[in-house]
Parts: sequence; C-alpha cells; structure tokens
Amino acid sequence: MLISDLSTSGAMPAAEMLLKFAGQRQKIIAHNIANIDTPGFQVKNADPKAFQEMLGDAIDRRREKNGGAFGALEWKETAEIHRVGGQGSMDFELRPSTSSGGILHHDRNDRDLERMMQEMVENATAYRVAADLLRSQRNQLQNAIAQRVI
Amino acid sequence: MYGTLDVSTSGMIAQRTRMEVIASNIANSGTIENAQGEYEPYLRRAAMFSPVSTNGVGMGVEVAEIQIQEGATRAEYRPEHPFADESGYLQVPDIDPTVEWVNGLQASRAYEANIVAAETTKNMMAQALRLLA
Repeated sequence: MLISDLSTSGAMPAAEMLLKFAGQRQKIIAHNIANIDTPGFQVKNADPKAFQEMLGDAIDRRREKNGGAFGALEWKETAEIHRVGGQGSMDFELRPSTSSGGILHHDRNDRDLERMMQEMVENATAYRVAADLLRSQRNQLQNAIAQRVI
Repeated sequence: MYGTLDVSTSGMIAQRTRMEVIASNIANSGTIENAQGEYEPYLRRAAMFSPVSTNGVGMGVEVAEIQIQEGATRAEYRPEHPFADESGYLQVPDIDPTVEWVNGLQASRAYEANIVAAETTKNMMAQALRLLA
C-alpha cells in the first residue's frame, strides 16, 4: 500500500477540500465585512451549494470508478472554483462572483450585515467540521500504524 | 487563510481613521482661524473608503483620501465680529453634530463587525493548529 493511498482513503480528501474551501471563503467574507461602508462596493460570494454539488459529484464518480471509498478525488472546475497547478492537482483558488438583486443602499453598496454574519458563522462551522473529521481520521491512521487497539 | 486577518485589520483601521476624522470635525465646529491667526474657517473633512485587491483577490479596505469638502461653510449674522464682511455675515464651518454623531455610531458598529470577523478567523486558525496536536 502506497503512502498516497493512506491519505486518499475514506473521507480525508473530501474533508481536505472542504477545509480549503472554507478557509478561502472566510477571506471573501472578511473582505465583505471590511467594506461595509465603502460606497459602490458590491458584496462577493462563493456559493457553498455549488461547492457541495461539485464535491458530491466527485465522490460519486470515485465510488463508481474504484468500487469503494478510496482513491483520489477527481473534481471538476466550476465558475467559481479554479484549479491551481497542473491537471489532476487538488489545489484550487476561489474566484467569487458578485450576486445581484440585493437591496441597494443610498451609497450604492448592497451590504446585508445579517446575511454576512450568518455566512461567516456557517462557514466557520463547516471549517470546524472538516478539521475535526480530518483529525479523527488521522488519529485512526496513527492508531493503526502503531498497532494500538482502543 | 493566509491574509484573512489582514483584511479584518484593514477594516478596523479604516473605521478608526473615520472616527478620528469625525472627532476632528466635532472639535473644530467653531474654528474660524488657522494656525497663523488668519481668517480661514475650518472645512469639514470626510474619509473616503475604497476596496483593496491584490491580483483580483479582495484584501480589505483603505482610506483613499481624507477629503476636505470645499464650500462646507454657512453664513452667520455676526456684525460685531472683526472678521465679518460688509453685510455683517461671517462664514463658519457647516458641521452638524447630529450627523457626525450618527456617522460615529455607524463607524463603531462597523469596527465591532470587523472584530467579530477577526475573532472567527482566529478560532478557525486554532482549529487548524489542533490538526497537528
């Protein structure tokens, strides 16, 4: 069994992608909050639902291809999630889009403080879930390697 | 996660600068002389914000300029004042303390929002560190 097989089994690849996504999205949300009073600013967002669909798609494809929950995830780029590095790289960067249809304030800023705060809380929770998942999977691996039985 | 704290800090700095401008306006709402004692009514200042991006990635906000608003004076009838003109009118700064106070409230709320964002980022970073421990 190769080392890479250890790190691509079970939920670890998906949890890593979620961790990266939530980490980059936090920067976008912080940028929106910092620009609460900037005239003419338009709130940017990277849609978590689109990310969820993309991830679910990649997991299903992996299951079909390998017959189980192991192997690298092959994910497809979306309008907001761009691959960084060569073909098959797991690294990505977010290119947020501006949502339209919000309430425009008198300074032409379409801020919505409550929505921003909600997004930040949900994003932080998603990050925590991914981090906890990764830690527990790593602990299981460590126990297996150390031949410990809990 | 890299640079996310920078973004929130830039927001806090911008709002704090805005508070300083507001404080200066309130403090100088009766100033009609400059440092040399010549007649120069204080003109209201306003902080102009603009978003910052590096390579297309949003990196917060900055104070683009502190604008001195030309013509922000109003005429007050003070015929006995040495600086009054022929008809007895004096140009004094047109600063409404209510407007400044409400702007100050908004600035302090925005400052709080940025602090909350920074706290959340700190918690996320602590989560990431626990991956190693």
